[in-house]
Amino acid sequence: MPNDDLPLLRGEVAFRLLVEAVVDYAIFLIGPDGRVLTWNLGAERAKGYAADEIIGQHFSRFYTPEEQEAGRPQFVLARAAEYGRFEDEGWRVRKDGTRFWADVVITALREDPDSPPYAYVKITRDLTERREAEQQQRALIGEQRARAAAEEALVARDRFLAIASHELRTPVATLQLATETMLRSHRRGRLDADRLDTGFRRILSATERLGALIAELLDVSRLASGGPSLHRQPTDIVALTREVADRFSDRDEAARMRLVAPDEAWLDVDAPRLDQVVTNLLDNALKYSPSESPIEIRVTDADAGVELRIADRGIGLDAATRDRLFEAFGRGANAEHYQGLGLGLFISHRIVEEHGGRIEAAQRSDGHGAVFTVTLPRQGART
Amino acid sequence: MTDQPTRVLLVEDDVSLRDTLVEVLADEGHEVRSAPDGAIALQELRGWDVDVIVLDIMTPVMDAFEFRRHQLAEGVAPDARILILSAGRELQRAAERIGADAWLSKPFRLLDVIETVERLADDSAA
Repeated sequence: MPNDDLPLLRGEVAFRLLVEAVVDYAIFLIGPDGRVLTWNLGAERAKGYAADEIIGQHFSRFYTPEEQEAGRPQFVLARAAEYGRFEDEGWRVRKDGTRFWADVVITALREDPDSPPYAYVKITRDLTERREAEQQQRALIGEQRARAAAEEALVARDRFLAIASHELRTPVATLQLATETMLRSHRRGRLDADRLDTGFRRILSATERLGALIAELLDVSRLASGGPSLHRQPTDIVALTREVADRFSDRDEAARMRLVAPDEAWLDVDAPRLDQVVTNLLDNALKYSPSESPIEIRVTDADAGVELRIADRGIGLDAATRDRLFEAFGRGANAEHYQGLGLGLFISHRIVEEHGGRIEAAQRSDGHGAVFTVTLPRQGART
Repeated sequence: MTDQPTRVLLVEDDVSLRDTLVEVLADEGHEVRSAPDGAIALQELRGWDVDVIVLDIMTPVMDAFEFRRHQLAEGVAPDARILILSAGRELQRAAERIGADAWLSKPFRLLDVIETVERLADDSAA
């Protein structure tokens, strides 16, 4: 029945011509013994061998010496025989010894499903360019990230300088103006006892403000450089909290504070540092809430440690603010126009962390105000 | 302007600086009122016509920009001259945005404040 065979034969020829003409893929047959049976234009282009040089040679020469040593060529054929198909990606070697990154698919050909393969089709694609492009892309992304981080650091430093100089200038302005005013009054013979007292009080308060700002800046540099470690000593947290609250009585603010606490609550802490934390939290509560609104301070003593909770009825915290609150200059958008460096919570957070504790901020459940909770573990009680 | 004192409204959130400035300007014979932020300053202006408003830019609750928008929209003290005091950078640009007549960078000299307020008061009277 030659009439029926002819189209089939034609189809086979056409298919072989088609495969031979493919240039982007190396497509060739390997015998069950691993020798190359056919070769196409793509294979010649990818691997550098002409058909007459390679047909009859073992396909293992496409592998690197290390992979040949490790028996990789035999392994991939065995895998293709076992599963019908095997995919691989790796370095392959050209005729001239150069290497290229290849994507390889090997498919076993058999007469029927139970017989061993009579040949394998190997399709190889040179991915070197794509791999290089990907690596360049990755390097580029890494570079962009590094640049963005450096720019961010510059912006942060700029912001820091702007905030620090802004905050330092106000007390300096007071110092200058108060001193000049006293001098002027003196020259006019009007510097009486009242004016002297007022003038000196203003100068003192501006000097204290400057001192506090500088201490805060030094704290940040201490924390940034790792700084000296904590000096823990047994401390009554209730007494410490009460002492800090009393210090605000100068500002006629102590009446706003309600302390709910046991008689005492002892814990090994670095007292001056913890004093700083409580001072920062109370200072914030006062600063960001209307005058005369109550501020609740609660100290709870437990086996695991001591909890300090400070709740105000002020401007509160939105979710975006809460995430950045403990970062340097991370103050809330609603707090931007208030005085201060925006470092208090950053410093407090670090001090509490140094104690192995946690500091958390939340919006009051009724939505009006903020709640800060400091949890300090008892040493040895940590699990 | 010889028999009537200059009326000055001072908006500054720093207590010490505010009190000192009030004293300085009152010493010069001006009638001075003060407010810690823009919102309270607006309330003050609703019942009191002023010649000069001395404004700190960054005040809580309502800053100088927002204060100025409200002040112009409501038409309170529309002829008042504006003096900006600020510790911030790019003061001139901020002052221009606010539509200020003068600006001083913190820290400033006592005489500069006094002279600027008086010059603005004279302008306002002219």
